Amino acid sequence: MFDQAVGDVHCRFPVEAMSPKLTPYLLVAPLLAFIAVFTYIPIFTSIDLSFRSWNFMSPDMPFVGLDNYARLLGSQSFWNSMSVTTIFAVVSVPLRLALALAIASYLKREAASSRVLRGALFLPTITSTVSIAVVFSWVFSTDYGLANAFLSALGLGKMPWLQDPTLALLVLILINTWKQLGYDVIIYIAGLQAVPQELYDAAAIDGGKRWQVFRRVTVPLIMPTTYFLLVVSVIEAFQVFTIINVMTRGGPAGATDMLVHLLYRTGFVLFDIGTGSALAVILFALLIVLALLKSRIVGSKVHYEA
Amino acid sequence: MSRKLHTSIAASLLVLAVSATAAQAQTTVTFWHSFNNANGRALDEIVANFEAVHPEINIEAEYVGNYNDIVARLQAAIPANRGPDAVILEVTRYGLFADAGVLADLTPYFDADPLKDELYDYARQIGVIGEKNFIVPFNSSTPVLYYNKDVLARAGIEGEPDLKTFDAITTAARSVNETLGAEGITGIAAPGQFARWGLVMANGSDLIDPMSGEILLDDPKTLEAYEWMASLVTEGLASADGVTEEDNGRDAFLAGKVGIMMNSTGNYVGSRSALGDKLGVLPMPCNPDCAVPIGGAGIGIMATSQQDVQDAAYEFVSYAASPEANAIWFAATGYLPINKNSAELPVAADALASQPGIDVAINSLPHAHGRARTPVVTWMRTTEYDMWQAMALGQRPVAETMTQFAADTRAEAARLGN
Repeated sequence: MFDQAVGDVHCRFPVEAMSPKLTPYLLVAPLLAFIAVFTYIPIFTSIDLSFRSWNFMSPDMPFVGLDNYARLLGSQSFWNSMSVTTIFAVVSVPLRLALALAIASYLKREAASSRVLRGALFLPTITSTVSIAVVFSWVFSTDYGLANAFLSALGLGKMPWLQDPTLALLVLILINTWKQLGYDVIIYIAGLQAVPQELYDAAAIDGGKRWQVFRRVTVPLIMPTTYFLLVVSVIEAFQVFTIINVMTRGGPAGATDMLVHLLYRTGFVLFDIGTGSALAVILFALLIVLALLKSRIVGSKVHYEA
Repeated sequence: MSRKLHTSIAASLLVLAVSATAAQAQTTVTFWHSFNNANGRALDEIVANFEAVHPEINIEAEYVGNYNDIVARLQAAIPANRGPDAVILEVTRYGLFADAGVLADLTPYFDADPLKDELYDYARQIGVIGEKNFIVPFNSSTPVLYYNKDVLARAGIEGEPDLKTFDAITTAARSVNETLGAEGITGIAAPGQFARWGLVMANGSDLIDPMSGEILLDDPKTLEAYEWMASLVTEGLASADGVTEEDNGRDAFLAGKVGIMMNSTGNYVGSRSALGDKLGVLPMPCNPDCAVPIGGAGIGIMATSQQDVQDAAYEFVSYAASPEANAIWFAATGYLPINKNSAELPVAADALASQPGIDVAINSLPHAHGRARTPVVTWMRTTEYDMWQAMALGQRPVAETMTQFAADTRAEAARLGN
């Protein structure tokens, strides 16, 4: 009993007087209140605002039905953002996971050099995204940047890194991959180290070649890790904002205007809160659908037992 | 306790009580602005001078970023009741707040203020929408054409260059590129939005008619001006760096890497600090019209502030436009004088005598025009950046882009009810 645990100390909270049915609810109430205030109320408010017209200042928020959704779905900028975000996710997620797995396979051994390299790889992950974006803005400046100075030194021409639509998106993908790689590597190392050594020994006795062992032993056994990273990195790819806002502001001419950046511009630059909220709702639904799809397609191949 | 000690304690308590009463009587005005570095220091001086004259008013001046940042932060602060009492607002973007009833109508204050007759006409008109006055001008500007004498001379352009038309500017920029391109020096900085608006006006058009509110983005003369501006970038006379980030063009000019820059007169002091006597200043081109937009910002007062705070805020707003404050501001920044009596004061007279080119913007005033400030202007200006990038970087033809942009702006104006 609680009273015994506290000994002679008088307990002001009469736990024994509480209804056994009520107690669990009371204990989780503070956390539920926190989640309600900071998660559920904003979600429901966003849904409500998506059916209204509001610019932050007007005392009225007239109900406009599906007008905001219709305007959004009929706008070129929304479909451009959908396309840019999809390209970003389709290119960056496999790139991140493949690179991380390759590096993790090399760094999983417990040597001093591996530990140093792991730390070095993790540094960008914990570095401020704004700082990274500012530094890379200078690096990729067309006329005064380090990247083009390097190319010029090699006798090559200047590249319009942040002015060409394809290059600008590619630069953002590379920077984002570089920043997130350390996290993926650490998670993969944990996954790889959890694969039982006996399975590798058995495969070796059976004459399995290195690639065969990797494909038939390692890959299936780290599927839970891959699945986790896939879910996280897809969500993250759909939420990239800071690098874009600092480096390109969605430009050139919308070439890097991903969904969250468009949401920010719509809501907080153009002050169309209704349409911005409609976009938030669509993004929310999209991520749920993607999570369900991943669960259907990849989840069935995930086994948590060796 | 000795008698002396009693007296000392009593005196101290009296001083404390008087100080506390004075502090309680002081009205605090929170003031959001957009000036840092040298401009910020000049503003600090004006605030300090005001507080010395008005010890009953405490101005809490806070730098909150550029004009766009202020608009965004103000929008977010209003529903949270966390807004300032007074705020700097750019001259084409305060209409949004006036329309929403967020800004106090300053007409009764302004009508009773002798300042009203001291202001130049162009400055007084800046704050008026309909019959009401919503902001009092503080920092007014027009775009001017800056050039680097050294760069142009090395490109074979000696003396004061002829940069009165678009063609003349193209020719000069091309000379710089051909002569000094190998050194990484480009002819001209890609024009920023303020300069773009000025170049459209110099070509005999506008983006939105300030009187009728008519959208002129697809007017043939507007298209012609954008065609020329985009050609500066597509032909390599201006660095594309300045298209995606306007400040890059200015920074390159300040670093001596660009021959010509069209920008606000508010950049005069910074440019002179960077280039010294190499800096030349000319009026914007007349192609064929001599017309420049009036830019800058004024100070508005929030309608939600308490009446005594609004009164105190207006005292400050009025002081900031006074000859004393305006002379300091003009001399330290290069922004236009807004008060007819400013130039007579020694600080302004010294600046005019010792800083060649600071008067170019003043001489442009006969051709200066106010711009539209209806609520749709904020949307139009924000969207124009994307349109400009698409055209200047050769991703979309000018005519197609501007026609679509005009249609979208008309639709947005209809949605906003203006």
